Amino acid sequence: MRLTLRALISHGRVARRMGLGPESRINILRNILTGLVRHERLETTRARADEVRFYAEKMIDYAKKGETNEKSMKMADFWLTEKDLIPKLFKVLAVRFENQTGGYTRMARIPNRENLDRAAMAVLEYKGNPFPPLFPVRRVRELSLVNQLLKGYREEKAQMVAEKKD
Amino acid sequence: MASRTVCQILQRRLASNAAAARLSSADLRSHRSAQFSEEQTRQRSLYPRTEKIEVTLRGPGLQGALLVMNRGQSTPHSCTRHLTEWHVKSSVLALVDGEPWHMHRPLTRSCDLTLLTFKDEDPQIANQAYWRSCASLLGHVLDGAFKDEFSIELLTLPEVPVTAGAFCCDLVLDSRLDSWTPSEENLRSLTRETLQLVSKDLPWEPLDVSPSVALEIFSHSRCKQEEVEERAAQSQNGTVSLYRCGDHVTLSGGPLVSRTGLCSQYEVTSVHTLGECVWGVQRRAQGLSLPVNLTANPKVWRKLRNRAERLVEIPSSSTVTPPLIAETPPLVAEAPPPTVEAPPLIAEAPPLSAEAPPLSAEAPPISAKAPPLTAEAPPPPQ
Repeated sequence: MRLTLRALISHGRVARRMGLGPESRINILRNILTGLVRHERLETTRARADEVRFYAEKMIDYAKKGETNEKSMKMADFWLTEKDLIPKLFKVLAVRFENQTGGYTRMARIPNRENLDRAAMAVLEYKGNPFPPLFPVRRVRELSLVNQLLKGYREEKAQMVAEKKD
Repeated sequence: MASRTVCQILQRRLASNAAAARLSSADLRSHRSAQFSEEQTRQRSLYPRTEKIEVTLRGPGLQGALLVMNRGQSTPHSCTRHLTEWHVKSSVLALVDGEPWHMHRPLTRSCDLTLLTFKDEDPQIANQAYWRSCASLLGHVLDGAFKDEFSIELLTLPEVPVTAGAFCCDLVLDSRLDSWTPSEENLRSLTRETLQLVSKDLPWEPLDVSPSVALEIFSHSRCKQEEVEERAAQSQNGTVSLYRCGDHVTLSGGPLVSRTGLCSQYEVTSVHTLGECVWGVQRRAQGLSLPVNLTANPKVWRKLRNRAERLVEIPSSSTVTPPLIAETPPLVAEAPPPTVEAPPLIAEAPPLSAEAPPLSAEAPPISAKAPPLTAEAPPPPQ
């Protein structure tokens, strides 16, 4: 659903065409979304991941309306092919993203498939999952020697500024 | 008048004899180093039989690895040599059962060992040890920087927190150098000397000795002896810890880092005159240093360096001095007078100066510039 030049001149037909037709596309995306809700991180081709991302975010938005909401229950029932995941969606994911509006998923590009087709691949995940982080975390060592020296420097500077004002 | 000159000549002779009896700093260092080695070999011979101890390593990636080491012989450093080269090079200090332990100090019991580096989550113990060892390195350089005829006394190394911005080394110079103020060039030459020591990558060798041995090692310096007594009184088991780097022996309040090669950026920034203390005019040399792999870029370094030039105030130093004054008046009376009275002598009796090399020596301490000895000489005491 990305706004590309091709999408701009496609007169409203912004969805990618994949599979054997519109119904096949829906089924592909449905299976991937079910996998995403079950495993919280998965690896697919880049176009499919990008396409599923929109539905995955929408799914959370519906789930946050609550189990009693008729529309959200209907959507969960349609998009999750494995019905044991419906409680997880409402009780785990919806609760996890309670204080967040949008941006529930993260997508990372990974090297092309080592297959014959060399397809562009991506990793899609729900944020806050229990797996190790996709990107290395930059650690800020507040207590390291340089940072301690700079802390002292800043404190002294602030003190001097305050004295000048008085 | 005649009797007065005779007296003065006599005093003069005595003074020069005293100066001759005083060892030059190089001799002093070799003496201390030799005594240190003697004590070290004695302590090593306490473990003639090889006994095994079990050392459990704690830390990320080690998962409680068990090493079987030799008691009284293996050090944390030898433990790291069973691991990787990274552990050997970047370990700064060890924690033995939670207590800071120098990397070259032999292990005496089965224990848990944690290796500390500068890049840990909480490197405060390592930072403090680094600051302490940089100060002792500064003392090492200052000790050897002056000509042999000028005495230099290193006072107790003050404990300065890292956030103070500079490490300090207090010293008292010969009374003939009272009016000397260090120039840019002097400081730069001190920095160069330190960097030479750093490039030699000398280890700091630790030794815990009883106060009597320490008093013997520092038998030529009264103020060091007092420091030994003070530290022995403070420590729990009555011993003092000595550290040797090259041939320079220092006292230290806490463990130092393993070797000088851990310093990367190092600069002696300033020498301030603090005023009179018991031993003479007290000065405070300050410097700034950063370890390997934690260097600052030039802009940051310049800012930190400018800050390190300002005098670091140490609030607790005044509490230590009063008992010293009470105890040692005769010493003060004995030591400085010959040199203080010297300038008027030269003015009255010029031929004498030919006989007395240490007094007439106007040789500069470090650089080629002569200190204004006669011009700013202190007024005659009587």
